[in-house]
Amino acid sequence: MIFFFLLLFLVLVAQIAELFIPALPWLYNAHVYIVPVIVFYGAMALPFPLMLTLAFYAGVLLDALTVQVIGGKVEISTGSSILLYGVLAGIMHGLRPLFARGHWEVHSILSGIFTSLIVLAQYLMITFRRGSLVFTREIWWQIGGPGIIAMLMAPILFWLLEWIGRMTAYPYGPERGRLE
Amino acid sequence: MSRTNIIALLIFGAILGYFLSFGPSATQKFKAGVYQLLAPFLTSGSGLKKQITSVRTGLKSLEQLEHENTELQVENRELRATNQGLRDVEHEVNRLRHALNYRERSVFKLIAAEIVARDSSTWWRTVTINRGKKDGIEIDMPVVTAEGLVGKITTVSDNISVALLVSDENCRVAASVEGSREQGIVSGERVTTGLTPLLDLNFLSKQADLKPGQKVYTSGVGGVFPSGLLIGVVKSFRVRELDGQAQLTPAVDLSHLEDVFVVTGRR
Repeated sequence: MIFFFLLLFLVLVAQIAELFIPALPWLYNAHVYIVPVIVFYGAMALPFPLMLTLAFYAGVLLDALTVQVIGGKVEISTGSSILLYGVLAGIMHGLRPLFARGHWEVHSILSGIFTSLIVLAQYLMITFRRGSLVFTREIWWQIGGPGIIAMLMAPILFWLLEWIGRMTAYPYGPERGRLE
Repeated sequence: MSRTNIIALLIFGAILGYFLSFGPSATQKFKAGVYQLLAPFLTSGSGLKKQITSVRTGLKSLEQLEHENTELQVENRELRATNQGLRDVEHEVNRLRHALNYRERSVFKLIAAEIVARDSSTWWRTVTINRGKKDGIEIDMPVVTAEGLVGKITTVSDNISVALLVSDENCRVAASVEGSREQGIVSGERVTTGLTPLLDLNFLSKQADLKPGQKVYTSGVGGVFPSGLLIGVVKSFRVRELDGQAQLTPAVDLSHLEDVFVVTGRR
């Protein structure tokens, strides 16, 4: 249980840190997203009810920091990020047997793809409101860039979180005791 | 699927349904509440970032001198902003004197604010400032600097507020062009292609024929932004099928903002 609360704390810290990490001008102003990687690790490492709680918590934070009310209209419904995190974390949870055997490759790649999917879903939702569906090179990079960064960060973050899990004697981690 | 998992899924679905049913005002309150909770972390995070930047650039000075310097800088910027406001008012008064007789206007009431965080996501251009309801900030108040218009307030909690930048596609500003009778709507672009975001001035007449360098000011139509605030400078003009469109370079360097002023009214 300590590990679960530590994950909640880390999600909060990462969400705040994201506000202070500038967009990357060399990657078409792509943003760095750390929270999805932590949530997706939690999706593999936590039992189903706690996984849903973590997804809900991360979704609430993301919604609060991104959803804009302009001129009395909400552009993206509050709860959309909760739904996104819930579905994607659910898929990740389904791959738990691989994680339990100590594999991390598929999950790292999926963390990247799912991070991009979150950004893409946001883009599609705002496009639906604003009209004119446009996909320029810049837009593709702003969607794909965060995914690539998340994919690169995932092995390091997974190793770190796995180490925290072992330090807190978390019993639900990989069966062999460590990620390979 | 076990019974516990089904119950967890049902609870998740019920709470999700509750959140999805939020209207604009409930969303505003929810956002303001979360920002209020995060306010101490955001302000201390901003301080930490500044310290790191200061150490990184090797700029260390005595605490007292630094404090005094900061105060003087804020005062200087405030005076420059007021001066700019006066110049904008003068421009507006002169225009009206010639066209409609004259009407006296007063300068803006300004609240100085510091930017604590910026651009929390890919698709919205926002900044978070360290002033809120307790300082008299309200939704839709314009945000400016000495150079010109920055944006408007969209979320207000007790000690912290979020401002939507003029470079956001959703921030629409009624504008008029210096030296012409042309009026249009300024909005940002969905995606920034270069380092500096550009603005679009839409709904101009096809005959507008704007020249690079012409200044674009808020026209005051719509009631959110007072007239006479500098928005940007014309970069290019093109004729479209139904109207004319100009691209503007924002008057304010939005990517390096540190201090801003919230316009709370006129003196």
